Amino acid sequence: MSYFIDLVIVGLSIGMVYALVALGISLIYSGLDVVHFAHGEIYMLGAFIGLWIFKTFHLPFPLVLLGSMILTGLVGMFIERVFYRRILRGGGGYTVGGMAMVICGFGMSIVLQNVAFLIWGPRAVPFPVSYGMPVELGNITLPAAYVWIVAAALLLMAALHLFLKHTRLGLAVRAVAGNKEIAYLMGINVPMTISVIFGVACALGAAAGVLVGPINYVYVLMGLGILIKAFAAAVIGGFGSLPGAVLGGLLVGVIESLGAGYLSGSYKDIYAFILLIFVLMVRPAGLFGVLAKVKA
Amino acid sequence: MTTADAILTSADVVGGYGTVQILNGVTLKVARGQIVALLGGNGTGKSTMLKALSGLIKPWSGSIVFDGERIDGMRPDRIVRLGLVQVTQGKEAYPAMTVEENLLLGAHVITGRAARARGLERAYTYFPILKERRRQLSGTLSGGQLQMLCIGRGLMSEPKMMLLDEPSAALAPQVVLDIFRTIFRICRDGMTLLMVEQNVRMALLLAEYGYVIKDGVIHLEGPAEKMISDDAVRLSYLGGTVADRDAKMAL
Ligand SMILES: Nc1ncnc2c1ncn2[C@@H]1O[C@H](COP(=O)(O)OP(=O)(O)OP(=O)(O)O)[C@@H](O)[C@H]1O
Ligand SMILES: [Mg+2]
Repeated sequence: MSYFIDLVIVGLSIGMVYALVALGISLIYSGLDVVHFAHGEIYMLGAFIGLWIFKTFHLPFPLVLLGSMILTGLVGMFIERVFYRRILRGGGGYTVGGMAMVICGFGMSIVLQNVAFLIWGPRAVPFPVSYGMPVELGNITLPAAYVWIVAAALLLMAALHLFLKHTRLGLAVRAVAGNKEIAYLMGINVPMTISVIFGVACALGAAAGVLVGPINYVYVLMGLGILIKAFAAAVIGGFGSLPGAVLGGLLVGVIESLGAGYLSGSYKDIYAFILLIFVLMVRPAGLFGVLAKVKA
Repeated sequence: MTTADAILTSADVVGGYGTVQILNGVTLKVARGQIVALLGGNGTGKSTMLKALSGLIKPWSGSIVFDGERIDGMRPDRIVRLGLVQVTQGKEAYPAMTVEENLLLGAHVITGRAARARGLERAYTYFPILKERRRQLSGTLSGGQLQMLCIGRGLMSEPKMMLLDEPSAALAPQVVLDIFRTIFRICRDGMTLLMVEQNVRMALLLAEYGYVIKDGVIHLEGPAEKMISDDAVRLSYLGGTVADRDAKMAL
């Protein structure tokens, strides 16, 4: 029984990481109607930038996390502004330029991998931060990493919720996600708001990368695996739905962990897709698919 | 009316969608504090003209001046900041947001907390039903309430002038009367209004001046009283009967 609980806790914490990346993908999808295939590389970039901040400024880990989120968010806004928007301008904006955007996203993921390769080289490097002593919750002892990852992710999700629900800019983000033309008539600077959506989504991806860093290596191709998992999580939850992305991420994490623990660790990556296929057979729109249609 | 007291003027506005030209040179003028009706049959370009005024489409040629500034080709959100706001139709409220969130969205350009709260109170004074429903998702409102929500939302940016596109569309007569009464109150409190209406009778009773658009150009214009009594106008362009001025007293 305690083995089971251990597996669930490990699954939940890695699921939180998937959820953060999936939240970013869903946020971009709900706001811009495009699937951002370079989001795994944003996660990778976030981890490297976090590592750089840590090594250069020797800041405490929470500040490293925050710093990487801000810098990576800015990088994301730059990418959106300079590349994506320009490419789509000819095609009638984000809503129309879907296919171009998919290809553009793949291209960007290759570009970012190569940029990271040039800057940081091919080697996997450790993120030399310790999450500290194991944490005792009741009568179970948990490795600190898992507890802090879950806590940090929950905090970020709460912050995202407050931002979307209770701030003027958050309301504008939801309006742009719902309908851009009406958002314009509300006096909302739609292009700027789209940049903000991109920035927030990339900041969430970066947070995931930094949180995972200390329990994993940081390397150039680390975005590939996470993109596929987060994508599965977003689809399972219902594409574009934010609660769906969180639930999907947690489900993928837990199923994966249980599968690896009870069946076989070598097929670890398959369990997410078995879950994906099963959910899509029962509910083709994903778990929160209906909600996803009524955006904003 | 001279250009001096005009808050909005458009001169020879040409525009459309893609390569399809809809507006073939629309020239009109709205004076400060005036209610002006923009009338015309289906598909003649009324909504398209409003979109050109609010910035949703860029005119291909011609000029639009609002409150002393050229606004043709300007981004819609900047036009809202200048004080010209287009009231969306009722169906264009955000259904998954609450009534109050929809209203606050209208106040996007207002940043002060106190000013936003004052705006809410003002909207609730005009439409008390919205206050009762403020925590409800706007998707649960009736058609009339949605229209009220959209007018209230338009007020939230404290505009100098509002553009209304068929506020009476698909509503029951009693509700229409209610809404027009409030629109009249809003204008009496100092608002300038350009209103597109299918309900020609109501529109001309409310308005001081009217334009009739046909095939993308202004075909006819004149003081509303004259238009109401002008049989030629009524029969050729407006259709239906025009009721007596007594109805205006009801407002
Ligand atoms: N988004 C669009 N893309 C292409 N053509 C459009 C678009 N919107 C409207 N049109 C066309 O432009 C013409 C004028 O439409 P518009 O909506 O301005 O008419 P209207 O006078 O408002 O009519 P109604 O009384 O039906 O609202 C119509 O022929 C319509 O089919
Ligand atoms: Mg119309």
